[in-house]
Amino acid sequence: MTHTDLERRRSVGADLPRMVFLCCLAGAATLAVAQTPTPAAPPPPAFAASNLTPSGVRALAATCAACHGSNGHSVGGAIPGLAGINKEYFVNQMAAFREGRREATIMHQLSKGYSAAEVAALGDFFSAQKK
Amino acid sequence: MTLLRRDFLRAGVAAGGLLAGACASPGRSGPRVVIIGAGYGGATAARYIRLWAPHVDVTVVERGAEFISCPISNLVLGGSKTLADMTVSYDRFSRNNGIHLVRGEASAIDLEKKVVRLASGDMLPFDRVILSPGVDFTYADIPGLNNAAAQEKVLHAWKAGPQTVALRRQLESMRDGGVVAISVPVAPYRCPPGPYERACQIASYLKASKPGAKLVILDANPDVTSKPGLFKKAWSELYPGIVEYRPNARVVDVDARTLTAKMEVDDFKADVLNVIPPMKAGAIADPFITANKRWCEINWLTYEAKNVPGVHLLGDALQIAPAMPKSGHMANAHGKACAAAVVALLSGEAPSPAPVLTNTCYSFVSSEKVIHVASVHKYDEKDKTMKAVPGAGGVSAAASELEGQYAMAWARNIWADMLG
Repeated sequence: MTHTDLERRRSVGADLPRMVFLCCLAGAATLAVAQTPTPAAPPPPAFAASNLTPSGVRALAATCAACHGSNGHSVGGAIPGLAGINKEYFVNQMAAFREGRREATIMHQLSKGYSAAEVAALGDFFSAQKK
Repeated sequence: MTLLRRDFLRAGVAAGGLLAGACASPGRSGPRVVIIGAGYGGATAARYIRLWAPHVDVTVVERGAEFISCPISNLVLGGSKTLADMTVSYDRFSRNNGIHLVRGEASAIDLEKKVVRLASGDMLPFDRVILSPGVDFTYADIPGLNNAAAQEKVLHAWKAGPQTVALRRQLESMRDGGVVAISVPVAPYRCPPGPYERACQIASYLKASKPGAKLVILDANPDVTSKPGLFKKAWSELYPGIVEYRPNARVVDVDARTLTAKMEVDDFKADVLNVIPPMKAGAIADPFITANKRWCEINWLTYEAKNVPGVHLLGDALQIAPAMPKSGHMANAHGKACAAAVVALLSGEAPSPAPVLTNTCYSFVSSEKVIHVASVHKYDEKDKTMKAVPGAGGVSAAASELEGQYAMAWARNIWADMLG
């Protein structure tokens, strides 16, 4: 899969809820079309279970650092830091991004890459960093 | 494979020279890591090893006098930034992180003696070695460019530095109504959206300063390889009548004297010809190239070369996993995952079974407006590779000035994240 394929797949994914809704509206005729054989989808990835040991969490938190600064210390201006953030606030905001309740340019996409347990562990990590 | 390794080892063993690193770290007795290359990948690995394991002695070999960022450097062509805006001294990197920085060129790795040999003849001993060599151009694929004189006239400007400034000068000296051509190699190449961002930046300059001038993209690929919808929208809305996109236009040769790009079926003569040549892993990684004679395959849990365990590799030199771009951000992510694995291995522990990588590539479609593509990658245990997390990631809804602010903030943060 190329980079472009990924992007195409993403944009199809983004339209999925609307497409499902339209299918429901159209009713039986659409259902008949949907039941025609389609090429088999690739199997879902077999992702390893999250590593939430201390070294696993610090490496996970490092995936945020490129944009939000090392250990969450932003020096970039427009992008907020995460160091010293309230854990509950962090977890709630990540859920809001994920569920589309908080408007974003990019976090509504990236937040979907982390499980609830990972987000909670990141919340612990960043809340423990000195501001 | 055995032959490759034996030849390689012999080349290393044959060298004499001083053990420079052995006396470069008085008072330190921790394990020694030598890293080749202080770009987005190597500098990040160095800094994170020191952050996570301060007892480890880290030496970095870098040929450049200072760090010059490839991301953001297309803005020099558009004219809204200068090279100084994306240049960072290595002084703080070395001093604040306790990293030995050796300015020089690594010429071989001796796995038997566990030393990196430098072109100067000096030797750097190591317990673990990490290669982050970036890319080299395969000029043999474009015979007319396979000499120094031609390369001075037909620029790549694909490693930020003097060539970036020289390409800007070529644009400035071009006649009104002139034609600029950018040649894009077959993917994978460093920075998938880079050529198309460059087209936007050059078009922006032509629109403002060169009446009647045009820009033609000769793309070896069947379509724009990154953010196709957003780039095509930018070209038609921001630069109507200036940008022309030609898919399946692979440049197979160049006449540097007449600035003519030769494709499989026709030729294209330009006033400024910018050829982004095909690429491979940087030369120091040649013994570890196992994919298409260009890229290095690795174990994604340890970042060790598939053909030679014990040598770690990262960044643009890697054979990418599915949907993984060769980008500065991704090299930074590799750097941390590799640092974590090396720190674990040096302590006799198993590397993390679940590494995570993220990527964000911002592209400036004008001096202010920006688009992005982002993704999250996790380890697939069955296929033993990194895979994009389904549903996570995507592209901008539209170009915006807000993302322009985020892009510059990203640059400042990632430079600080790798260089301290």
